Amino acid sequence: MKYTEYDTIDFLSDEFFIQWVKNPDKNTRHFWEKWVQQHPEKRDMVLEAASIIRSVRYANSPELSDEMYVDVFETIVKAGNQSCRKESKSWFTFYPLKNIAAIFLFGFCGWMVHFHMIVGVQPVIPAETEEITVLRTVPPGKRSIITLADSSRVFLNSGSEMEYPKAFSQGDRWVRLKGEAFFEVKKNGFSFSVFAKNTEIKVLGTSFNVKEENEDLSIALVSGKVQVNDQKGNQVRLNPAEMLAIKEDGKFSKTSFDSLEVTGWKDRILVFRSASFREVKRKIENWYGVEVSSNGKVSREWKYSGIYKEETLENVLRGIFITSGMQYHIENRKVTLYDPK
Amino acid sequence: MKPEKKENLSPTNLVLTQNQKESLLKFENKTDEEVWTAFDRGNELAFNYIYRIHVKSMFRYGSQITCDTGLIQDCVQNIFIQLRDKRGGLNTVHHIKGYLFKSLQREIIRKLKKDSKLGKDGLDQNETYFPVTLSHETVLIHQEKDEEFRQKVKTALNELTARQRQAILLLYEEGMSYREIAEAMEFSEVKSARKIIYRALATLKCILKK
Repeated sequence: MKYTEYDTIDFLSDEFFIQWVKNPDKNTRHFWEKWVQQHPEKRDMVLEAASIIRSVRYANSPELSDEMYVDVFETIVKAGNQSCRKESKSWFTFYPLKNIAAIFLFGFCGWMVHFHMIVGVQPVIPAETEEITVLRTVPPGKRSIITLADSSRVFLNSGSEMEYPKAFSQGDRWVRLKGEAFFEVKKNGFSFSVFAKNTEIKVLGTSFNVKEENEDLSIALVSGKVQVNDQKGNQVRLNPAEMLAIKEDGKFSKTSFDSLEVTGWKDRILVFRSASFREVKRKIENWYGVEVSSNGKVSREWKYSGIYKEETLENVLRGIFITSGMQYHIENRKVTLYDPK
Repeated sequence: MKPEKKENLSPTNLVLTQNQKESLLKFENKTDEEVWTAFDRGNELAFNYIYRIHVKSMFRYGSQITCDTGLIQDCVQNIFIQLRDKRGGLNTVHHIKGYLFKSLQREIIRKLKKDSKLGKDGLDQNETYFPVTLSHETVLIHQEKDEEFRQKVKTALNELTARQRQAILLLYEEGMSYREIAEAMEFSEVKSARKIIYRALATLKCILKK
């Protein structure tokens, strides 16, 4: 049967389709995005099937606590050690197993040394030591790259602020953000949380953009997986190429996004996509740390699109003038724009 | 406000974390069969990797059958202890997750039966296993009618048999292939996994059209 003859139920049971919805990769994305474009009449059906697939969840999903995770591991490994002692004869006759015993012994010695050197010298690190945090603020017109203790990288956009622990204690990676940042989180087996507004964005190892503007928050996922928990207890998971927008009143919506427009700033690319005058003004103010005002009225219909990589303010303004006719005047850190029409 | 946290600097934890970083690097791009063979040969990093990748989802999977977390913990422990005991003579495993899920389900059912919390027929008898819920995902597409639709699908899903729900959850929530589902649910043929999903979806459609 061809995909064009598919009914919702056929999509719902198609492995290739489910793969695209659950774990999209280059292949599936290329195929299904093209296919949907060519068969717009099937779009609603595809979206419905995809949303059902994504929303089916276990009704109970308790998380295994970190404590239990370690306990279970310990029990398993120790049980193995015991049987090793009991059956020592048969163990050592079997060649590879002898090695394992040696590794265990070696590991144990190593651990003893480690334990006595570190834990012995500074006996007990109190569990509730005050964590030293660092606060970084980036003024308008500047951008900054921060490497965290776990070697995750954060691009901090102009006019933003981030607080983070100087060193991450075991399994506790977090930062608090005001403004906009792009995260490249390194996987290390523990989750990484970004707190922005009243929302927690929880990830393992991924790259994504978080932007807080006025009272709204948006999260755009480039790769990996993120889970967003808001203060009302709502939980949304994002797939790559999806963006979640949370409005001031807590309403949220998911869309796709233009990755250059959303994340271009971290590569020093300034992007306008049919931007309104207000948007252009705000972007330039933030990007160059200047004040922009307009002289006279600008038509509501006025829109501007353009891409600039590491350009000076003057060049950007000249570019805007050439394509849209908007005149400019720069004096000190003040820019005046006016539409001669 | 700082996120709640717990310091856990036990020696096991230190060793565990160190090994995990290494095991991740080494096995991340290997196939399940390769990882399993390394484990069988006694490679501790391979064990570490398997534990790390699967223990959380095993625990969650077990929670669909019983809410007794202590019992699930025991079962998970037993499975790994037994596997480690048998190293050097383990059978080939193509899908580790499916295999572990199957073992866990067996172990839990066995334990429940032993504690006589269960009739003889095990899983098929208990229709409360594998309850399904629908996340707010649908909200985003069917703006207004959404809540109503969501409730309808949720009710319909929970009217399916426990086996059907199990298959659907493995397919959608766990993202398993039909082959892996066949392994996890102990079907001898992949065809049977396809069949159970198709039948479940057909029933779902019927209920929704009512």
